[in-house]
Amino acid sequence: MLRIASLCLLAVAGGAVAAEPEFALTIRDHRFTPAEIRIPANQKVRLVVDNQDATPEEFDSHALNREKVIPGGSKAVIFVGPLAPGRYPFMGEFNAATAQGAVIAQ
Amino acid sequence: MKSRRLLPALAWLAGSTLAHAGPDDYVVMPTVEYGEREIELRIGTASGEGGEPRASAASIAFGYGVTPWWATEIYGKWHRNGATSFDAIEWENRFELTEPGQYFADLGFLVEIERPRDRAEGYELRIGPLLQKDIGAVQTNFNVLLERHYRSSEPEATELGYQWQLKYRWRESFEFGAQGFGDVGKWNDWASAHAQEHIAGPAIFGKLKLGGRQAIKYDAAVLFKLSDAAPRQTWRAQIEYEF
Repeated sequence: MLRIASLCLLAVAGGAVAAEPEFALTIRDHRFTPAEIRIPANQKVRLVVDNQDATPEEFDSHALNREKVIPGGSKAVIFVGPLAPGRYPFMGEFNAATAQGAVIAQ
Repeated sequence: MKSRRLLPALAWLAGSTLAHAGPDDYVVMPTVEYGEREIELRIGTASGEGGEPRASAASIAFGYGVTPWWATEIYGKWHRNGATSFDAIEWENRFELTEPGQYFADLGFLVEIERPRDRAEGYELRIGPLLQKDIGAVQTNFNVLLERHYRSSEPEATELGYQWQLKYRWRESFEFGAQGFGDVGKWNDWASAHAQEHIAGPAIFGKLKLGGRQAIKYDAAVLFKLSDAAPRQTWRAQIEYEF
């Protein structure tokens, strides 16, 4: 049992690295600002998403394989990458008509 | 700290005993979607061996993402092995222990309690770590699950099972890959190779967005026997309405 738990912890933490670069993203009036966010390719980064609307939003990106609900008036951290150079669209699933954006890895 | 939530479950299991995967079993994910409600239908059927009837199972569930790190789901389960009958009520709890992408792999934990209709089977507890790792466009999952019956008329033993999945994230509405399930017997005294059950095969997945919070998610697989004790062929499918 302990061996299984230890193996899991090793598998999870094995590649832990310190202090990823941080990028800020804001949701206001059901839109992302900036709508395109540029990050370094081949490097893990933290997106700090600040939802300034009163209503929750879901950061949703099939390209990034991330789905995260961010309650109104709160922040969430979303880890992204390392990504090959390219454009990775994301959206706010609850307000998809306006909340559209993309991560540009370059 | 999220890892503290793991300790009570581990302590409970240490003091005390798996059953093999049903034909409608599915690969459990380590992630939680906060505030999401879902209605889920699972079905599965496995070919009978040696003149035994085909074994089929179905379940319907309601689930809810209670917090950003805890999702819970209640199942009603039916099975058909000759005749159809209500089988059990199951309470599934998934805990997201690490933020997706933060570490080398994502870690979750499953705690599932089942109360079979047949009271002689007692209670069934299934727990274990849920692991996920993205490798480019391929999502990989591997779960190690321990299962034990309590207060049952049968001798109690803790059994070890596993689930795995590979998914190529092609398009959101249609993805493809493979799945596998297996049970090796007692966790500390594995059964002989011919008595173990291992099945695997191709699988498809997808999510169809309906607008707002609503979406339909599906996955289905055809699983073939990889060991003597496993059913020759198992078909399984799952469909979820998220809202």
